[in-house]
Amino acid sequence: MKFYSQSFLYDDPWSIVSLAYLLRYPNPYANHILSCDVISREVTPEGSLRTTRLILKKGSLPRWAPAGMIQRAESWVLEESEVDPLGKNMRCTTKNLDHVKVMRVEEHIHIRQAEDGKTLQTTEAMFLSGFGWGLTKKIENYGLAKFKANLQRSREGFFVILDLIRQSRMQPM
Amino acid sequence: MSQSLSEECTPLKRKYDACFNAWFEGYLEPAVSASVTPEQRTKFSQEKAAEFEKACGKIWQEYRECVQKAVKDKGLESLLSQARQSHPLKEAPPASHDPPRS
Repeated sequence: MKFYSQSFLYDDPWSIVSLAYLLRYPNPYANHILSCDVISREVTPEGSLRTTRLILKKGSLPRWAPAGMIQRAESWVLEESEVDPLGKNMRCTTKNLDHVKVMRVEEHIHIRQAEDGKTLQTTEAMFLSGFGWGLTKKIENYGLAKFKANLQRSREGFFVILDLIRQSRMQPM
Repeated sequence: MSQSLSEECTPLKRKYDACFNAWFEGYLEPAVSASVTPEQRTKFSQEKAAEFEKACGKIWQEYRECVQKAVKDKGLESLLSQARQSHPLKEAPPASHDPPRS
């Protein structure tokens, strides 16, 4: 198993960062997102919004992957999020649904209000392969390396959305 | 706005997303503060749920039915129920004496 974690501080208020996070697809940096659907959504008795989304991502295979390791380079991803606007807290977990024997990737995002109207995001990711054949470590390392390489791109995509929201807020009512 | 997993549901999804997004912006900035009582939370929950139902309830139902059918047609139901049962981070790690490295 491999782990990754990182934090990031935004100058924007919590409500804007959380809004941008839920609206992050589509963006010009996310051509790999083929579809995104809400499959369940409810306001809990405590006032939080709980959402489950089903996302289809286009993937790519490493060159050393044995033929037939993965049938098609697409993956279904489940995203479960909970937003608490009263406590200014948002949590989001994503995990792949298929190819789980090759590798499970689980990502946890936590967005909460920090001091001076800023917003703190922490990201944790886990990579777990059960593939065997002497490839388990290699697959996990590949997953981690790929995740790190894509992080900048997904951040840029996120900033596009964040900017659009900032601009729309600046317009006079 | 992005596609639905079924082409048929995409127009419904777009209508629903637009409705939800408008509601969600207001939801994220409640008039009450963080130090709310459980009673205020319950009241907030009921108000927001009613507000959503009034504005987007109908389109949500249509969109949800469309997606549920598409999920069934594509044979994704079992994949979804398996995923909801497994929580790899909460389970014990596989037999190994190495501490996890980050």
